[in-house]
Amino acid sequence: MSATIEFVRASRWYGPVIALNDVSTTLGPGVTGLLGPNGAGKSTFLKLCAGQLAPSQGEVKVLGIPSWGAPELFHRVGLCPEADAFWDQLTGLQFLTGLLRLTGYDEAECRQRAENALHAVALLDAKDRKIGGYSKGMRQRVKLAQALAHEPEVLLLDEPVSGMDPVNRRRVVDLVKKMGREGRTVVVSSHILHEVEAMTRRVLLIHNGRILAEGDVREIRDLMDEHPHTVALRARDPRALAGAVVGLPHVLSLTFGTDGEWVTVQTAKPDELYGNLAAAAEQAGVTEMYSPDENLESVFRYLVAR
Amino acid sequence: MTRDIKRPVPFGRAARAVFDLALEGMVWSRRSLLMVVLVGLPVLVAVAYRVGVAARLTASLTPFALYGDLVVFVYLRNILPLVALFYATALVADEVEGKTLTYLLTRPVPRPAILAGKFAAYAATTLSLALPAVLVTFFVLLTRSTGMSLGAGAPDLFRDLGVLALALLAYGALFTLMGVLLKRPLIPGLLFLYLWELLANLPGYLPRLTLTAYLRSLVRHRPADEGLAEIFGEVLPALLCLEVLAAVVVVCLAAAAWIFSTREYVMDQ
Repeated sequence: MSATIEFVRASRWYGPVIALNDVSTTLGPGVTGLLGPNGAGKSTFLKLCAGQLAPSQGEVKVLGIPSWGAPELFHRVGLCPEADAFWDQLTGLQFLTGLLRLTGYDEAECRQRAENALHAVALLDAKDRKIGGYSKGMRQRVKLAQALAHEPEVLLLDEPVSGMDPVNRRRVVDLVKKMGREGRTVVVSSHILHEVEAMTRRVLLIHNGRILAEGDVREIRDLMDEHPHTVALRARDPRALAGAVVGLPHVLSLTFGTDGEWVTVQTAKPDELYGNLAAAAEQAGVTEMYSPDENLESVFRYLVAR
Repeated sequence: MTRDIKRPVPFGRAARAVFDLALEGMVWSRRSLLMVVLVGLPVLVAVAYRVGVAARLTASLTPFALYGDLVVFVYLRNILPLVALFYATALVADEVEGKTLTYLLTRPVPRPAILAGKFAAYAATTLSLALPAVLVTFFVLLTRSTGMSLGAGAPDLFRDLGVLALALLAYGALFTLMGVLLKRPLIPGLLFLYLWELLANLPGYLPRLTLTAYLRSLVRHRPADEGLAEIFGEVLPALLCLEVLAAVVVVCLAAAAWIFSTREYVMDQ
């Protein structure tokens, strides 16, 4: 894999706060998921790639060029920032053509490229509407369109599908995968595992400013399977429920909530717990059930502790 | 058109593109509404004066004297510096606050071109709003019915327009620099306008440290000053004034461009 993005012992701190700590990694063509809980350092990683920040220490190169202070790089790099920020008085088309003019295209090509990009994110019909009147999902898509309108070799996407409805989420996921297949280097950050899983199997796990692991997302899944899962259940008769599940071999612990309605079960095999739960749930009158572990934070805590 | 992807987009093209992007947002902003109100105040004064004259009320000022007062004390000393303060300090700050600066900083353009385009949009917006207001003030006050000759006042009008344009550029450049240098430039800007600029009324060389002294020296109107200004008011040579004001524009913009080029802008999520 040829490296298009290269971090060499790169660190970045904001005053006393270390956002990225001694990171060395290389990313090549294809889609890479940058996965980590909020505040892990994902945005700092992307901002360093996009030349928005200079590394406090070490080196960050994109396409062989140090990313800080190299505006020419943006002929070949596109960034979709996380912030929901626009010049709301502009229409979608004006927004894109304005930014494409800054990329050096003439008027005709700006318009053509802007329309192509808006078409790619299914916003062509809304091209003449002001962005201020766009829905959250439309704003996300027009933000994505500006990043890909100049067909960059490197595409940096910060939480690109947040706020999108399932149809457009699917559309964007397909678009990202297509760009990866075309040989572009696409880095997608997210704190939601299944979002990243839908786009790629190659992930970079980042936590507390450090690269925790990199590789195939299935390995992360395996780690998650080893990770004790917590399931919270609300029942009319929580003690009856506790009595039914406490004898199961994979149940590791059981606690009652202070309100007397909730039971929290920790299990090594969540699938078996769910399988054995049906009868007990009916008897105890389970009305609500969720898993507080369905976020990456707990997985990361688990991985860090290992 | 072929793009050279090994180099940033040429400065002039990039600045023009930023100008086009920035202009609409600047013209149709709440700030412009405030500016219309501000620059319209002297017009209202002029209209009130005309109504008073029509009603045969006694006026202590001639129309031309009132026009001179409005130019020197209202436009030059107060309104245009305030307009420059509100617009120019916000050239970069608005983009940072609105988190839209990222879009500009992730284009293959030299950063000074971004600042140049935005300053040009500032100049176009403020000049196109302020100068017509001065024209209207002039014509409202100096028409035949007030007994004054328009032709006689025309040279002063053109000179005034030039000086007021220069004031917008000079204060604009200074406040652009303050805007990129300071996180909260409004209070320091107001202190500059209403404390530092009072040095223009002191004796000796101190007035030469203010913009007011140079701008005031360039207009022909010499309204009666009050207090210290009445005693020490000095008219500086026109050439010196032009040189200093041009230097202020160039130096402040160059410094602002350098700072903007080297500074990191962290857009909080």
